[in-house]
Amino acid sequence: VDYQHVQVPFEITLWIMLASLAKIGFHLYNKLPSVVPESCLLVFVGLIMGGIIYGLNDKSPPVMDSDIFFLYLLPPIVLEAGYFMPSRPFFENIGTILLYAVVGTIWNVFGIGFSLYGICQVKSFQLQDVSLLHNLLFGSLIAAVDPVAVLAVFEEIHVNEKLHILVFGESLLNDAVTVVLYKLFRSFCEMPAIKTMDVLAGVGKFFVVGIGGILVGLAFGMISAFTTRFTKTIRVIEPLFVFLYSYLSYLTAEMFHLSGIVAIIACAMGMKRYVEANISLKSHTTIKYFMKMWSSVSDTLIFIFLGVSTIGENHEWNWPYIFFTVIFCLIWRALGVLVLTFFVNRFHVNTVTGKDQFIIAYGGLRGAICFSLVFLLPDFHRKKLFIAATTVVILFTVFVQGMTIRPLVDLLDVKKKRESAPTVGEQIHIRFLDHLLAGIEDISGHWGQYYWKDKLEYFNSKYLQKFLLREYDQPKSSIVLLYEKLERKHAIELAEAGQLGHALSPLHSAFPCSNSHRSVTTDGKPEDILNPDVLENIQEILARNLFRIRRTVPAYNRHTLPGETEPAEQAKEILILRHRSL
Amino acid sequence: AVSHSQITRLYSRFTSLDKGENGTLSREDFQRIPELAINPLGDRIINAFFSEGEDQVNFRGFMRTLAHFRPIEDNEKSKDQNGPEPLNSRSNKLHFAFRLYDLDKDDKISRDELLQVLRMMVGVNISDEQLGSIADRTIQEADQDGDSAISFAEFVKVLEKVDVEQKMSIRFLH
Repeated sequence: VDYQHVQVPFEITLWIMLASLAKIGFHLYNKLPSVVPESCLLVFVGLIMGGIIYGLNDKSPPVMDSDIFFLYLLPPIVLEAGYFMPSRPFFENIGTILLYAVVGTIWNVFGIGFSLYGICQVKSFQLQDVSLLHNLLFGSLIAAVDPVAVLAVFEEIHVNEKLHILVFGESLLNDAVTVVLYKLFRSFCEMPAIKTMDVLAGVGKFFVVGIGGILVGLAFGMISAFTTRFTKTIRVIEPLFVFLYSYLSYLTAEMFHLSGIVAIIACAMGMKRYVEANISLKSHTTIKYFMKMWSSVSDTLIFIFLGVSTIGENHEWNWPYIFFTVIFCLIWRALGVLVLTFFVNRFHVNTVTGKDQFIIAYGGLRGAICFSLVFLLPDFHRKKLFIAATTVVILFTVFVQGMTIRPLVDLLDVKKKRESAPTVGEQIHIRFLDHLLAGIEDISGHWGQYYWKDKLEYFNSKYLQKFLLREYDQPKSSIVLLYEKLERKHAIELAEAGQLGHALSPLHSAFPCSNSHRSVTTDGKPEDILNPDVLENIQEILARNLFRIRRTVPAYNRHTLPGETEPAEQAKEILILRHRSL
Repeated sequence: AVSHSQITRLYSRFTSLDKGENGTLSREDFQRIPELAINPLGDRIINAFFSEGEDQVNFRGFMRTLAHFRPIEDNEKSKDQNGPEPLNSRSNKLHFAFRLYDLDKDDKISRDELLQVLRMMVGVNISDEQLGSIADRTIQEADQDGDSAISFAEFVKVLEKVDVEQKMSIRFLH
């Protein structure tokens, strides 16, 4: 038995296998993911694993190396989020997103840092040797919020879909902000004395790192798009280029001490448009599937490792510090959200409601980034305190907040549902008005700032497209374009299914007396229409069958591809109906 | 009155839609908007921009139609009680929506007109009979003068509990 020979790949594969099997296990029991978020279950599995290893070996289980996290586990997650980010709503709301991501994160970092420093001054806690700088460093890593974890809950419970892009964009950008601040404070820690010049240099570095990252990302994105122009004869390796170039952009940016996260996002968003026009449909699907797969695996592994490393001797449990950390995280996030939405609401008609604010604030779950950054800290005598505090915060947010957010929001919702149920007429007319407004907004191009967009479009059509696209077709009418995008076979199948539905009337049994409503038009007011059972059936049928309003931001779900969600099916149906009527 | 910046913004939107660059929009220009293609009421909304028998709409007409959807500002509610009602008043907003139902312009939504709109708004799983009963129920709830059709006044009454100002005003989130 030559275990040494295969040990490393064997163990890696076993870990990934464990993660995937755990995932299958959760989804087998349907109700479980909706009550307990997946991250909780994964941490739980990790805890069990860690316990087993500790029991068997009687020493601390392996701790995840931060290099592994930053070089192998983080890029797929960020790439996936960046690639599936709908660019139009993103850029049209970039101001608000940046406000939440940058200002919000900085607010949290300094708030938590300073208040923890205040706590350290209290003599009885024995924390006086933790300096302000250390507290700020800790604040910068603990402020990283991972709202993507709560996007699934967000999806089902709120009405204001425009907030999606806010939460989505914030989650993406605040990771970048956190890493930059963290590195900044860490370099400050290593300097013997800090002058004002250093602080100013730090602020300047912030911008350099961000903008430099964007430039590196865009450069790689353009090269990638250019490469795909020539891949017509070797379709099989097209997906590889997308992944290679994105990963290269991340590594190159990290090499120059720029923000790799921003680079990989810029690369993905920049090349998406051109690459998708150049590559084949199958490559396209492959890319999407692989991205989802890799980010899923990364995510799962991280949470399991979190559970594993909780067991062991890595922690110094100073409970007052830990307790106050949790409290301050909650308070500062809530305050930050309140203040920021106050400003945002002053300038916009579309206000962020109290319920949405609660969800954003309470949904500030901490995740992988905090976890890895704390292990990356230089070894100083209080490091274990920070590790302990971070672990508790992550576990608290993931378990307590993750599990209670749904019930709490339902509680908030119940208060609104006490109004009387709408009549059938109201239901129909309201949906009618919603469609009307959606259409008018699309016509009026409700997001302003056309100046820059037009300039970019002009630059794009004059120079970029000729350079980066293989063929450039004349733009056709949008109905034809969209129709062509659908696979013909699927379209025909749907149309046939539609006609079958008409002939069979599958919901016939919902109506108690099928004969009487034929006589409505001649008799006047028969009793059946006023029958409450019939009314309930009508309401139910309407609720299920009325077309939903088109979403400004497509739903983001870790587990499904964008084209397979319900709104896409609905869009296909509407298109086919209209195409038939043309 | 519409503000200067809003006019500029709408004008640049108008020109970006006007692919033929002749200062007017045709139906094809509207149909090129992808989201409108998958809006169930897409064709009717486009038609609302064009006057009777016309095939082109100029910027004035474009703005006039969109003016219905301006949010109602608080300071407008009190002033000018004697002047003509602004286009974006609650009543005019509802009238705009009413005209989308009422194709034959007889100031009544008949059962057939309602059925047409319903058919556009629901999926393929509803049979004609079910749709018919839904339409009947809708008319019955609203009809007060017994003519088996919905007049404008009855339409307004059905929507009296709905926040029409909010539902029919263009929202912005920068």
